[in-house]
Amino acid sequence: MSPESEIDSSTLQRIAAGVEAGQPWSAYQSAARALDRIPIETVPQRLRARVALLGSFTLDPFLPVLRVEAARAGLWLDTYLAPYGQFLSELIDPGSGLYQFQPNVTFIAADADVLWNQRWAECPPIKSEPVVGGLLTPLFSGLDVFDRAGSGIVVVNDFVLPRRSTEGVNAFRSKGTFAHTVAHANKHLRLRLSLRDNTFLFPLADAVTQVGRNHAFNWRTHYRGHVTWSDTLMGAVAERYVGFALAAIGKSTKCIVLDLDNTLWGGVLGEDGPSGIALGAQWPGSEFVDFQRELLDLQRQGILLALCSKNNEHEVLEVLRDHPSMLIREAHLAAYRINWEDKASNIRALAGELNIGLDHMLLIDDSAHERAWVSQQIPELRVPELPADSSQYANWVGSLPSLIVLQQTAEDSQRTRQYQESRSREEYRGSMDSVESFLRALGLKVDIALVDDESMSRVVQLLAKTNQFNLTTRRHDEATIRRRTAAGEWRVYAMRVTDRFGDFGLTGIAIAEPGAEAWHVESFLMSCRVIGKSVESALLARIGDEARAAGAGVLTADFVDSGRNQVATTFLPAHGFTLAADGRWVRSLQTPGPEWPDWIEAVTGKEAVR
Amino acid sequence: MTDRTQMTARVREIVGQVLDLPVAQVADELSAGSSSAWTSLNHLMLVSQLENEFGVVFTNQEVRALSSVRAILETLGRRLDSVA
Repeated sequence: MSPESEIDSSTLQRIAAGVEAGQPWSAYQSAARALDRIPIETVPQRLRARVALLGSFTLDPFLPVLRVEAARAGLWLDTYLAPYGQFLSELIDPGSGLYQFQPNVTFIAADADVLWNQRWAECPPIKSEPVVGGLLTPLFSGLDVFDRAGSGIVVVNDFVLPRRSTEGVNAFRSKGTFAHTVAHANKHLRLRLSLRDNTFLFPLADAVTQVGRNHAFNWRTHYRGHVTWSDTLMGAVAERYVGFALAAIGKSTKCIVLDLDNTLWGGVLGEDGPSGIALGAQWPGSEFVDFQRELLDLQRQGILLALCSKNNEHEVLEVLRDHPSMLIREAHLAAYRINWEDKASNIRALAGELNIGLDHMLLIDDSAHERAWVSQQIPELRVPELPADSSQYANWVGSLPSLIVLQQTAEDSQRTRQYQESRSREEYRGSMDSVESFLRALGLKVDIALVDDESMSRVVQLLAKTNQFNLTTRRHDEATIRRRTAAGEWRVYAMRVTDRFGDFGLTGIAIAEPGAEAWHVESFLMSCRVIGKSVESALLARIGDEARAAGAGVLTADFVDSGRNQVATTFLPAHGFTLAADGRWVRSLQTPGPEWPDWIEAVTGKEAVR
Repeated sequence: MTDRTQMTARVREIVGQVLDLPVAQVADELSAGSSSAWTSLNHLMLVSQLENEFGVVFTNQEVRALSSVRAILETLGRRLDSVA
């Protein structure tokens, strides 16, 4: 197939543009058939995501809606729908169609009807606990299987009370009501999903609120054929699901480029002056304050903010520094271009400076003219239509599907780890098994050697640059390294890493100070490119082996909190070190280990690693 | 009340969208028996699209009987007349 015959995302977007928001299902069905007529071999891999749907009700009509909403975001979906009524058995059976399909994202849509029917298995109905357990126990057993046999992320819908309750005004006092069952199920679902990596809770309740409960469910199709979601709800859910699909294949927005006048504040700075722009506690300035708050919430999750505005830079900087109601300050900005050049060139320059692809950037600009110009110049840039009414800005920004950040913050993952350690041994082993199988599948190889002339400059560079996985963050220059190694005071280890997918190059450094009784780990760091691959264990194991062979009985190490190296905090305790009274971490070499992970192959010589 | 010609055109459009047929091919004779795209699921969705579009609710008997374009047009026509 020649590249000329490939379609691009605009072909998909053109088809989706034929269906406007709020149109009936038949319009989606028709557009989905138009998608079907695109020869599959002309859809390039980079536009494709594999999406699996497991539902407790009939989801077939949802597929065309989802595919069209994905096309609107420039995405082609290969879909898998579990056979009706088999959502749990598909999840639990590693030989099922779900696992053969190898999805990037799996959506699990079990609706409250499942809880309702279990509750009414007897009359009078049974209480919350057995009902919730009856669903969540098999569901989470299934997720355990998925951890080992599945691929991609899993997104599980929460439960929604589908109609007004007849349980009376005293229902809030009782634990036997259906409302309580639903709340109870949601609480446990949230808790248990939060303990797992790569699983997410989908707020169906929020989507139902958005469209209104009376419009969310179609009771006629529900009773006639288990099609519970209305056309409207299908559209709202599909829009949100698409965000997960984009994120799962790494196509989310990484940087939002912001215009200023009538975007971040009301009015025009150059004409109205810093005290004349609308920004503050009172309307209309309050609209822009709320919008800035939403943007900062995105920034806090790791989405970069950048400015691109036709203005005088010194005037804008004055507002950023001194305006009392400005929430977005210089510290929140990854970069800015404030000048009178055309925006397309400025956005290209921002992309270059931040080293982010233009297809991972999104422009928010109130000017339809600028938006049209920039989209024409940079077709791959996301340029959503900002509402003309600025009171809608804050509510609008949350609806952009590409602003989903899957990766958790260090703080979150820390909390996850603490939870995990307190879980029962059985469950802990289960999760370890899945991590191992993941790592085994990578086919990791490492080459650990002492620093030489060839590797010296890269070693110095890594020592100078590495912040996250760095036990001590000590920056040593080349002269020091040469002097200390020549004197035999240091052994400087340099580790190269490769896996099935590529060569990470020289990405791990350790400096050991050999002593008669103890070897001390003076520095230990990993490039962020190889974090999470367990290669750090291999490097430590090598040092431990050499120390033991040299007759040392103890390994010691420092951990210096730099404020940025949280990711490395658990490294020493996880490898058998304990904190001594003098603040050093100590590990005996009389006991075996630190263990070399048996899924990592040790190789020597650069040929072997390439 | 919806004009009969308008109603007919809209019915043909919806049937065409649901079954993936050009409107010109949506003849009165088109039926569940003659079209492989007219599956039970598409029938369910087609009926609900018609209900939403024309603001009617079909009875159990009607839902089963709506299995051709002609039957849809006749039934809908009757229902809309009785409303008028």
